[in-house]
Amino acid sequence: MSLPRWALAFADESGQTSNSDSALASVTSLASLEERVLVEQAQAGSRPAFEELVRRYDRDVLRLALNLMKRTEDARDVYQEAFLKVYRNLHRFRFECSFYTWLYRIVTNVCLDHLRRRQARPEDQAPESYATQFEEAGGDFFERQREYRATLDPERTLLGLEIKKRLAVAMERLSPRERVVFEMKHYQGLKLRAIGDALGTSEETVKNSLFRATRKLRSELGVLR
Amino acid sequence: MSAGEQKKSCEEIAELLMFYACDELQEQERSKVEEHVAVCEACRKQLAEEREFQKTIELLPHAADELDRAGLLLSQCRSELAEKLDDLGRPAVKEKVARFGWFRGWMILHPAWSAAALVMLGLVAGTQYSQWSSRPNQGTAPEQAMNVRPSARLTDDQLSKMDVAGINFTPSPYAGSKNVRVRLNTEQPMELDGNLDDSNVRSVLTFVVKNGERFDSGMRLDCLDALKTHAEDSEVRSALLAAARKDQNPAVRLKALEALRDAGIDSTVRQALLEALQHDSNPGVRVEAVNLLVRSLEQAPSEQLAPMLPNTIEMPAVPMIQAATRNGTSEGSIENVIQALENLQHSDPSRYVRLRSAAALREISARNDQ
Repeated sequence: MSLPRWALAFADESGQTSNSDSALASVTSLASLEERVLVEQAQAGSRPAFEELVRRYDRDVLRLALNLMKRTEDARDVYQEAFLKVYRNLHRFRFECSFYTWLYRIVTNVCLDHLRRRQARPEDQAPESYATQFEEAGGDFFERQREYRATLDPERTLLGLEIKKRLAVAMERLSPRERVVFEMKHYQGLKLRAIGDALGTSEETVKNSLFRATRKLRSELGVLR
Repeated sequence: MSAGEQKKSCEEIAELLMFYACDELQEQERSKVEEHVAVCEACRKQLAEEREFQKTIELLPHAADELDRAGLLLSQCRSELAEKLDDLGRPAVKEKVARFGWFRGWMILHPAWSAAALVMLGLVAGTQYSQWSSRPNQGTAPEQAMNVRPSARLTDDQLSKMDVAGINFTPSPYAGSKNVRVRLNTEQPMELDGNLDDSNVRSVLTFVVKNGERFDSGMRLDCLDALKTHAEDSEVRSALLAAARKDQNPAVRLKALEALRDAGIDSTVRQALLEALQHDSNPGVRVEAVNLLVRSLEQAPSEQLAPMLPNTIEMPAVPMIQAATRNGTSEGSIENVIQALENLQHSDPSRYVRLRSAAALREISARNDQ
């Protein structure tokens, strides 16, 4: 699995990296040097410097928000809220971690808040969700899923579609924290310690959340296998 | 191992299998799992299922790829964020040092003592102030009054940061010079309205002329046109000389030379004219320099050109000028100009400049004969 920049950042800081080599480390350190200058300029009130920081990381932010929220509108709200939070609080950033680690913490916590709010509003759970899209998008599914198309096995392809649908529905049933932890572990490739760091909680709590999430999802998908 | 022990061991291992599959176990726990699955068929099967589940999850496409395949959402988000930032204005700027931080901390921890200290401070300050304010004013008063008075003149800093949004020139029925209205985009937008006698208006126009690269040539020409009536002012003259030497636009250089002609030609202006004669790339500007030099010799035949010597090293006529100056004759300056004109007459790439130089030489010769 190719790891996003978030994963590399957290891996570097938590000292548990198994993916980064020396070349990558040198690139990272050069980039972080330049990043520090940008952050300092943005802290001094430079709007162009802030916008440059946004352009560097916003693709990852939006991707993470889409993966966690599974709805474009919610991801859009998360994007705005996260970067506005960064803008307002940048003067408090003290370089104790890298900028994007700090940004990542903000984004994941904004996502968590949104998921909690969504859960508190039952009327806001069903419409336009990622889960319902599969039923509508069945027609062009074969064009999009290279990994299933490559097998040229209709039975397996249908099974893949069914798994996706079930998984999307099952994800909606997880608690916000279980969902975020599962996503960060399996799609973002982060270690449990790094997830705990991002969410401001202990590794043990994250471990429990991941355990429960996996159990729930497995029981949901179990009948298919 | 008894059946009961085996069951207990399987339960322990079952909790670890999921973390084993996603590489989240410590070395000791890893070994424990590996040893157990090597001998336990049921747990080995369960581990295979865990691995298969994780593989399935990894193979599934990400929601982000499904929901924003064209990547349009990102550009929409960027635009929305830019608008929101516009509405917000400047963020809080990082404080470098928290002033009196220790004192604030102490005050928070000791509220009663803080209140007492503040009351005492107020009493002392009030008593001292009443004594001080009842004393007669002493000799420092005038300086204090000057500091309080705001400066009406635009500062160099304001000028360097300004962006001129527009300049309107309107003829004035009463004054000799035009009325000028200047709109400035500084940190706080301002508008100046007045004629060239107003030092702020003059400062803005000379700044535009001097810093040509920051303003368009039309605006520079308008400013030069307005300034030519005040070319005797040293600030204006220095701006005109700068424009005549350095402006990138030949029309602006030409206009600057014309404005200098109206001001009367002294040694500094002659220096600029000779530089234009030698180095300006535009033939029209060189011709205007010839005209002005001839005119300067007519106006002040006895004036020395000595002050311009140190800056005319590149001129071919330098040895001759130095010799003439050592002799202390006024003919030296004329010969200097003549030498420059003769060079121009023979070597200038423009035919018109060569002709004009020849005509100028004839005019000077005729004047000397009289």
